[in-house]
Amino acid sequence: MTYFVIFLGICFMLGVLAVASNPSPYYGVVGLVLASVVSCGWLMSLGVSFVSLALFMIYLGGMLVVFVYSVSLAADPYPEAWGNWRVVGYGLGFVLVVCVGVVLGGFVDFWKVGVSTVDSGGASLVRLDFGGVAVFYSWGVGLFLVAGWGLLLVLFVVLELVRGLSRGAIRAV
Amino acid sequence: MSPLHFSFYSAFTFSSLGLAFHRTHLISALLCLESMMLSMFVPLSIWPVENQTPSFTLVPILMLAFSACEAGTGLAMLVASTRTHGSDHLHNLNLLQC
Repeated sequence: MTYFVIFLGICFMLGVLAVASNPSPYYGVVGLVLASVVSCGWLMSLGVSFVSLALFMIYLGGMLVVFVYSVSLAADPYPEAWGNWRVVGYGLGFVLVVCVGVVLGGFVDFWKVGVSTVDSGGASLVRLDFGGVAVFYSWGVGLFLVAGWGLLLVLFVVLELVRGLSRGAIRAV
Repeated sequence: MSPLHFSFYSAFTFSSLGLAFHRTHLISALLCLESMMLSMFVPLSIWPVENQTPSFTLVPILMLAFSACEAGTGLAMLVASTRTHGSDHLHNLNLLQC
């Protein structure tokens, strides 16, 4: 179980590296989808099942779907995948930066700490994060209203950004 | 540093380095921004269950809401750039000529 959770952590790092190493956006989205699927499984293994499902539905099912069809606006005549030497160079450079940081920062007690949290064992129906998110509706209701207002505001922000005829922020024509 | 903490720490470093370097497309920078958000969401979710403080579970949900706002705004700028210049190449955003 410990090794499975560590394996998911490594897959998460590899997915994010696949996005950051600058391939064509068609392939970058694949890396981001892999990273978010693996992070959902990772959170589920640690016991926080509610935020894992919230991530799955809202992030993967909402935001990433919009990103995936928006990459059609970024068409390359010769798309570069991870077999290209430029992309491999970026990826190895980033790994080198993290390795230098680890060597300089010290890598003490790497194998002494495990991967269990308070909810990762057993089979309970209601876990710790259910009660935590319920605070959002009871004591944190002001913050809830602020977040809802911000989301409504972003609808109008998006409308004004893409408005044409020289009236938007970026539109010159 | 435990292996879990190292995973999302280095994932955040990768994506912020990826955001900092020059790239051809605007959407590549937006994807790096999204992966920064994802690599912040995971430790924010793990931290309340490691410290047994359930009320901090509010923070990743709120962060998800605001990152949806940010992703929508970034994609709106992508669409505006494509409708004006025909592509989302970063060398098209050249009003600041210095």
